[in-house]
Parts: sequence; structure tokens; C-alpha cells
Amino acid sequence: MLLRRVICNNVCYRTYELFVCSNACHLKRYFSTDGEIELCDKMPPSTEKKRGGFAQAFEKYTSPPELKPPTPEKEETFASLLRNSKFTDLGDPQGKVVTGKIFQVVGDDLYVDFGWKFHCVCPRPAKNGSEYVRGAKVRLRIKELELSTRFLGSSRDLTLLEADATLVGLISSPARLPQQPKSS
Amino acid sequence: MALIACGKPSLMLYTAAKMQSILRRPSSAMRKILRYSTQIQPDVDVEKTHLPSEKGAVIPQLDILQHPDFFKVHELFTVRDLFDARVHLGHHEGSLDERMKPFIFGSRLGHLIFDLDITAYHLRQALNFTAHIAARDGIILFIARSSQNTHLIECTALECQEFAHTRYWSGGIFTNSEMQFGAVTRLPDLCIFLNTLNTILTQHIAVRDAAKMCIPSVGIVDTNCNPNLVTYPVPGNDDTPCAMELYCRLFKEAIRRGKEYRTLNQVEDSK
Repeated sequence: MLLRRVICNNVCYRTYELFVCSNACHLKRYFSTDGEIELCDKMPPSTEKKRGGFAQAFEKYTSPPELKPPTPEKEETFASLLRNSKFTDLGDPQGKVVTGKIFQVVGDDLYVDFGWKFHCVCPRPAKNGSEYVRGAKVRLRIKELELSTRFLGSSRDLTLLEADATLVGLISSPARLPQQPKSS
Repeated sequence: MALIACGKPSLMLYTAAKMQSILRRPSSAMRKILRYSTQIQPDVDVEKTHLPSEKGAVIPQLDILQHPDFFKVHELFTVRDLFDARVHLGHHEGSLDERMKPFIFGSRLGHLIFDLDITAYHLRQALNFTAHIAARDGIILFIARSSQNTHLIECTALECQEFAHTRYWSGGIFTNSEMQFGAVTRLPDLCIFLNTLNTILTQHIAVRDAAKMCIPSVGIVDTNCNPNLVTYPVPGNDDTPCAMELYCRLFKEAIRRGKEYRTLNQVEDSK
């Protein structure tokens, strides 16, 4: 949903997120200007006082969150959904970096789901190996989205039902201890 | 048909009494044919059928079948839900089955994409059919061969009090059920295939056997599947666990609605 620009060792590259994060949508709606306009409308015009910036902000952030009924979205066609999807943004998947989430660990094999039809299986890296557990977010570089080729003599491809990607790094892991807060 | 099964070559005049005696004590061949019937017998009281129906009398069983979407299955999902569950993702172009071409939106860099508008239509048809079968007390069998989703499907079947077969399929389960199970069997009234392919990527034997035994089937067909023998094919992704979760949830809800209608009807009839 959000393109994150990561600067690492003087190399800039874009990390793509194929996951759809519905929570972010709700958060966005809450902090949008629509909420503020509604608050103003509720106050009767006669008692409207001109409030300072701090007072307005204080009220906005301390008042209990309003649970607005979800506004009915416009009828989205499938074509528009596809056009605006992360898969289309990816372009040629060969060599692109995506974020994935480990959903299964079998010995030294990590099964990572990155928002595509198939998962990929990566070997556990030597560095920080113990942090690669179920639920960890990792960065992958895609080699192929589906391991399927045609063998001699067959009329159709044989598919392995897996994607092929290499582990680039770890983003977050539940096995990592939470960092101590800095005390001034 | 009964006369041919009896194997009597000579022409004989069968009186009504004679026919009744044949049906009361059927021969072994006749017994086999009757056993394999999957026709749901309408629970019609024989004494009342010859009476003329009253004017304006509504026969509930026929009325709901005339309705295009009696159980309102179109409310269960939107195209957006299908999209978020990755139902539109297909395999590579190289493994495409020619017969799946009408359901494909297109291919992007070799990766096929299903047209979710077509999928949504087919899924509504399939859910509607499932709900009606459940409302008429039919036995529903979930069949799948993807080991990743075996537990999910078996739990789904347990929760909606229907059946599932997600293990190795020995050949004669439908076609030779009496021998296989050693007892009189009743075959399912609907087969829901969440994978029409088995683990070696050939078509599941049950697809062909269900068609042989005149059992209607609902099947999720991917780009490498053959949709021909499935009664209600639903073109869509069958490899991703989140897509499978969506299908299981939808079918469970459709079956629940059908059964709810049935229990309500039974309560009304008993009053």
C-alpha cells in the first residue's frame, strides 16, 4: 500500500508491498478532513466560539473516536481493481524486491507468503538465523513468480506450485527482543 | 427399463398386480439400480395427490425453486472480496487448459488472470444450488486434494454437519460402493470440489465418477483444470490458502441458510 524507500549502504531501492492492508484504509478515513467537517457541523451555530489551534487539536485527539458507518463505496469494476492493484505496479516481477511474511518453518526451510498465488521456500540464512520464525516479516527478491516449465514430450507445463525468491533481509520478527526505550 | 433388467426375452403381459409384486420383491439387478438412485423423493402424500389443488394454494417446495436467488447468496460476497482473497490469480500461460479460455480476463507477462465478473456469476449459481440442496436435506461431500488445506476443509465440513473426503481416493468409492464399504450405501447428493486436480496434477477421479453416477458437482476450476464434467464450475484460484478460506466460508454459509430454511419449514409443518 505504501511505497517505502529504503536507503541501505548507499543503494536506493523500492520495496513493494503486495499485501492489502484494510486497516490502513480505516485509519486514513479517520484522520481525513471529512471527520473534522462533521465535528464542526454538529456544533450549533449560535454557541460557536472561535477556538484556538491547541484547543481544537486537544478536542480532536482526546474525544472518543467516532464510529462512522462505513460509507458505501462506489461500484468498483474488476478492471479498475486490477489496474490499481499492487500486482500491476510490480511490472516485470523478475528482480523486484517485495515484503513477505513467514507462515511456516520446517527445520531450515522458511515458507514465505508475499501476496502472490504461491508461497516461496527459502533456506534459513546464517546471520540472525534464530529470528526467522513464524510471523516474521522479510524482504525477498523475486526470481520467478511460478516455477513451471515445459518438459520434452509434454504438451503442457509442469508446475511446482511454488514461487522462487531469495531472502534479502529481515524487517521485523516476533523473536526479536523489544528495544529498550531511550531515557534522557 | 425394469423389463430389460429382468432379462425376460419372451413378451409377457404385465398386469398392474404383477408389476407391484416385482417392485415389492425386486431382483438383485433391480435392487442395485434402486440403490444407486440419487433422486430426492418428493415427500408428497400419495392420498392427497389426486385431489385438485385449491385455488391460490401456494406449494412451498416449487415456489422457492422458481425464485432466482431465494437464499440471497449474492449478499455473501462482492467482487472486491474475491479480489482481496486472490481468487483472480491463475497459473502460467504454459499450463493453460484451452477449455478455460472463456473465463480468463487476460495474461500479464505470462501470468493468467481470471475475469472476476464471470467468476462472481458462476459462484452465485453454485452457492444458490448448494443452498437448495441443503434445504432439501441432501448429503454434501467436500472433496479436495491439496494437503495444505485438508484440515480447513474437514473442519468446515464438520461445522456445517456435512461430509468431506480429502485423502487418497480409492477407485470404486462411487462406482463400486457396496463392495468398497461392505454395506448398503447412500451416495452424496452434491459433490463440492475445492480442487478438481489431484496431487499429480491429473483430474480427480471423483469428477468423472460423480458424473457417471449422476451426482451434480460444484467445482473450483483453475487455469490448468478441465471444467467440462463439473456441473457448476467456478473459475478461480484453488492454490492459495486465503482463497480456500473464502470458498469454505461461503459454502458453509450457503449450506447453513439452506438448513435453516428447512428447519423453519419443518417447525411450521409440525404445527
